[in-house]
Amino acid sequence: MRSFRYIWVLGLVGTLLLVAGVIILALTPNNAATASAWDSLPTHPVHTDHTELMPGPYEDGPAVTRACLACHEDAAHEVAQTVHWTWQSPPVEVAWSEEPVSIGKANTLNNFCIGVQSNWQGCTRCHAGYGWNNADFDFSNTDNVDCLVCHDQSGGYVKAGAGLPAEGVDLAAAAQSVGVPTRVNCGSCHFNGGGGNGVKHGDLDESLYFPSENLDVHMGRADFLCTDCHRTENHSVAGRSISVSVDNANQVYCTDCHEPATLHEDERITAHLDSVACQTCHIPTAARRDPTKMEWDWSQAGDPNREEDPHEYLRIKGSFVYEENFTPEYAWYNGTGQHYLMGDEIDPDGVTSLAHPLGSMDDPGSLIFPFKIHLANQPYDTVYNILLQPQTVGETGYWTTFDWDSALRNGSLAAGLPYSGNYGFAETSMYWPITHMVQPADYALQCTDCHSDNGRMDWQALGYYGDPMEWGGRRR
Amino acid sequence: MFAHHRRITSLYILGTFGVVFLVAGLLLLTSSPATAQEEQDPSFHPAFILRDAEGVNVLESGAPASTIRTCGECHDTAFIASHSSHADAGFSAAVAAGDVAGGRTWETSDGLYGGWNPITYSVASPDDWIQSYGARHVGGGPVADQVEMNCFLCHTAAPNNQARIGALADADYAWASSATLIGTGIVEQSGQTWRWLPEAFNEDGSVREDLILVQDPSDQNCGQCHGLVHSDAQTPLAAAVGDETQWNTLTTGQIFSPQRMSNSGLNLADKTTLARSFDVHAERVVNCVDCHYALNNPVFETEAPITRPEHLNFDPRRMDFGDYLYRPLHEFANTDAETTTNFGSSERTCVNCHDAGSTHTWLPYTERHINALACETCHVPELYGPAVESVDWTALLPDGQPVVTYRGVVQDNGNTLLTGFTPVLLPAGMEDDNKLTPYNLVSAWYWVYGEPGRPVTIDDLREVWLDGSTYAPEIVTAFDANGDGALDTSELALDSDTKVTLIAERLAASGLENPRITGEVQPYAIHHDVTQGEWATRECHTCHGEDSRVNAPIVLSSYVPGGAEPTVIGSDGVMSGTFARRDDGSLYYQPMSSAPPVNLYVLGHDAVGWIDLLGMLLFLGVFAGVIIHGGLRYLAARRAVVHQPAAVRQVYMYSIYERQWHWLQTVAIFGLLFTGLVIHRPNQFSMFDFRGVVLIHNALALLLVINAALSLFYHLVSGEIRQYLPRPYGFFDQMIVQAKYYLGGIFRSEAHPFDKTPERKLNPLQQLTYFGILNVLLPLQVITGALLWGAQRLPGLTEQLGGLPFLAPFHTLIAWLFASFIVMHVYLTTTGHTPMANIKAMMLGWDQVEEHVGSEPSIGEEGMAT
Repeated sequence: MRSFRYIWVLGLVGTLLLVAGVIILALTPNNAATASAWDSLPTHPVHTDHTELMPGPYEDGPAVTRACLACHEDAAHEVAQTVHWTWQSPPVEVAWSEEPVSIGKANTLNNFCIGVQSNWQGCTRCHAGYGWNNADFDFSNTDNVDCLVCHDQSGGYVKAGAGLPAEGVDLAAAAQSVGVPTRVNCGSCHFNGGGGNGVKHGDLDESLYFPSENLDVHMGRADFLCTDCHRTENHSVAGRSISVSVDNANQVYCTDCHEPATLHEDERITAHLDSVACQTCHIPTAARRDPTKMEWDWSQAGDPNREEDPHEYLRIKGSFVYEENFTPEYAWYNGTGQHYLMGDEIDPDGVTSLAHPLGSMDDPGSLIFPFKIHLANQPYDTVYNILLQPQTVGETGYWTTFDWDSALRNGSLAAGLPYSGNYGFAETSMYWPITHMVQPADYALQCTDCHSDNGRMDWQALGYYGDPMEWGGRRR
Repeated sequence: MFAHHRRITSLYILGTFGVVFLVAGLLLLTSSPATAQEEQDPSFHPAFILRDAEGVNVLESGAPASTIRTCGECHDTAFIASHSSHADAGFSAAVAAGDVAGGRTWETSDGLYGGWNPITYSVASPDDWIQSYGARHVGGGPVADQVEMNCFLCHTAAPNNQARIGALADADYAWASSATLIGTGIVEQSGQTWRWLPEAFNEDGSVREDLILVQDPSDQNCGQCHGLVHSDAQTPLAAAVGDETQWNTLTTGQIFSPQRMSNSGLNLADKTTLARSFDVHAERVVNCVDCHYALNNPVFETEAPITRPEHLNFDPRRMDFGDYLYRPLHEFANTDAETTTNFGSSERTCVNCHDAGSTHTWLPYTERHINALACETCHVPELYGPAVESVDWTALLPDGQPVVTYRGVVQDNGNTLLTGFTPVLLPAGMEDDNKLTPYNLVSAWYWVYGEPGRPVTIDDLREVWLDGSTYAPEIVTAFDANGDGALDTSELALDSDTKVTLIAERLAASGLENPRITGEVQPYAIHHDVTQGEWATRECHTCHGEDSRVNAPIVLSSYVPGGAEPTVIGSDGVMSGTFARRDDGSLYYQPMSSAPPVNLYVLGHDAVGWIDLLGMLLFLGVFAGVIIHGGLRYLAARRAVVHQPAAVRQVYMYSIYERQWHWLQTVAIFGLLFTGLVIHRPNQFSMFDFRGVVLIHNALALLLVINAALSLFYHLVSGEIRQYLPRPYGFFDQMIVQAKYYLGGIFRSEAHPFDKTPERKLNPLQQLTYFGILNVLLPLQVITGALLWGAQRLPGLTEQLGGLPFLAPFHTLIAWLFASFIVMHVYLTTTGHTPMANIKAMMLGWDQVEEHVGSEPSIGEEGMAT
């Protein structure tokens, strides 16, 4: 019987297991635990202190780059593959063009400052490189990759004409400070697109340097870096915007972190995810702190007698309308966009779309998405009916000469566009996706914001017979 | 260019940042007419000719428009007007004064016509009824001869209610309907002159459709009389304290709006945390008429299962729209009006739309909760609008108004802070189906005179209290406590016989017979301000604890004028609780959920004191007994002469199954006792999750029952059941022998009178005890427990067996007996030949049994093992 002396231990364990099993069964909740969005967040290791590694002094930007490349051998080569360097995407097959489309800032017209070509000196101060001041820039010389604009943490690094470091910048101090890119690095260009704070996007401006959580829940409440969502591998930063891209490869989505099926407790809201993008409800208004440019009339430019106000009229640029805290426009969006290509013929009596989202109610992959629509009046050739590229920057540019004819002649020559010598101004529109400045859930749109007599959706314009709450949506 | 651009408004920014508006002290009668909605769907309604009472186009006659004639061209306005509680206002149900069930002695109905309310106070004769009540009456019914039922008020997009009320006040009764159109550009008024504007009429004489939009009533239409309605989620809403035209907001604090409270213009306490909407139905675009629809509206028709043939899922034979639009019944679903129609009761509750079962799976005892509580009880946890608490007409303010207090309102330096209030829960519903439902209680005190009593008129009151706009000198002398020559609100209290007598004498002197103070409490039901999810009550401790929400008292007034005990007004809501006074003189109402008709036993809240006391005494008594007995044994053992220990032999006493069965039951019973204690006294164990403990208790109970059943099967099949069955022959003698041993022999280290053998493990006393435990206590505990659990599945059975108020304390009592038994049981296991011998035997199976002369070797004996 000795061998059975400890049988009670077995009995005890068995009994407790049985009871524990029963209790666990009783307490198991019906819904399985859901993964947390935080699990998807990249961690930021402490960045190596480069003070000792980058003693300096450096005579110019490329000297810093060469010093970086001494250790980070592939870095410049990696950057050189990205649109931050090329300003032009690889060719993409699209339904709306017979030829594959390869566009980007380098070869496209917008309805803000219109285009880069002939204006390199001014525009490329936001190029991640040094010295792009004419059509002949050598994209193979990776010594000209600008490491500092993204990695400087000294706060003293500023770029000037052609992307060269501004006069008086302490390159050694900047080089010694390098770290993971912060909102300041990205924001120095992306918050100031179009020539000033908040001009272009409507959801990206300098208010995001120190945002409240009500302005942007990610950057305000959790102090996100841009790269927390715009995942970056080998210097390739994820993200797309239809203002410069036509495809949706390497796009950033809310659902990269958030699980849509279990996120909303309410079935009614979950059902919306079939047809409504997250941004539509969670970004009720855009440009909440700083105003953004909504209209730009170039035809008004040049009047020396008109009073100047950077938010209303500038002689060099014409008249503007700015808005803040505006309700976005809503359109079906399947993630891809269609872009005006240089030389495309326009209807000068209509509004020419320079960039707009593709998608429709009939396309199951499309969602209703919020946009800022920027309207402009910009120069075109009244004979060829094409939009023109003016030279604005430099001695011979419009901003100095106030002569449209010569500015358009110079610009179109650089852009390879025919110019008849006759110009006018045509209306254009451009869609800008609203995707930043996500508000806390408590501020999301409510039912009545859309589903009421004075709701914000134009149902019939979207393709519905009427309010889908009453008329049925895509599923009915 | 750029024509389709949207502009922001400054109001929008205000909404986003929740700027706080001052709401205090606004006089509401100056509020502006409802603003027109900017964008409207195109009207389906055809153009029509505005006709006067003679049927002539008003543009020709210049006479006031008659909606009865105008709308009557196509709709059966006579039918509509004669089938509408809105018009009738209690007129056709009038009874003799004093015969209204639950009513006041001077009331002839419980409607607006013939009923009376201390908030409005007006004692209106039929002649001046329109002047007193017209602002909240649509016309028709009792006053059809003067004021016709006004279709425009509810069916146009931008009715001018202020102008309508103005016309009624000016006794311009015939023009009241036309006045509703002022501001549309169809008619204008200057002084006594009214003019139809020719430019508002088409060539064929009809009214321009862009000026008048005829529609089904919007929330704003209803809100003109019924309460604060604010349909725009973005523009901050503002509320005013004491607006009689917002009746339901005034009486209950209900506000119907999709707006998040944090975005509102109200000065709410902890506002930034209130991210819930005022009402989830408003938020979800469920409009007033979606629940309060016309009873014959074919859109909402559902055939009762009781009349529907088995073979039909859907009966397509229904009223077509043409018939409905000709005679839309103006009796609406879910109203207080107890009008009998062809459509039966108007009541449609939450569950007519909602499947509560599927959304409350997290809630233990879901059905029990749903049977006992109205949905509103948890889903309207708090009201935020300022609701009347008490109206004191026994003393007047210098402006001739009563002293009115509001719930959830804090006045500080002229600022009004809304703190919200928790409504009281009263049983409401059908006779056998009472559910606790949230209510506001409005108390009122006022002077009545004569027999049967009727309220002293405001004019008489003012004459007694005031000389013009100041108090009469005698009043100041009597009431001026601080001697400053003026009366503030706190001094305006009839809190002594002297003061009461003074006012009574002055009233008598003005010719009123037997003036006296009467008090009343009127319950107002709450069905709006519904919320869901985390905002609804879902914390168990809210109800299951000492401070249970179920029995939370509610303050009625800060003092009781003249000490008059209030009477309860209205048959709605059964006030089965008691009125009580606090030391500070305030009066409150204490609900009684454990008394009829509610009859709830709320776990963790309701405990029967004497049962716990008895159980505790029993438990402690047994505990003390074993301590004393054990102590004596210890002392006796020390004094006893050490003698040769009895020879022992090893016996296999308990089979492995018996041991497993025993210890599993041990764990289950300890677990049940502990979780039961937590459920019984949640306040003392607040670190435990009540819901989890309840679930564990139920699971352990199931385990115990299964274990007991398996064990019974084992004992029956193996014949071991004999162990528990006392042999009748000589049983009492043996019991006495055993008892004498425990009382005497055990201290003298005598041998046990009965040997423990595998065939006979229990001595006679044990047999008796276990017989009682297994045949009485265990079954009773299992049955009462199962009935408590089954209260939701088989409510009828539980009810027949005494209901929870009987069964639950019974369950508690047996738990105490079990606890006491365990103490005794564990102690007795130490009475073997060594204290641990029996426990070891139950663990290992092998027992050491004393050798006695004459004891027979038994089957389980294993001589070779020793």
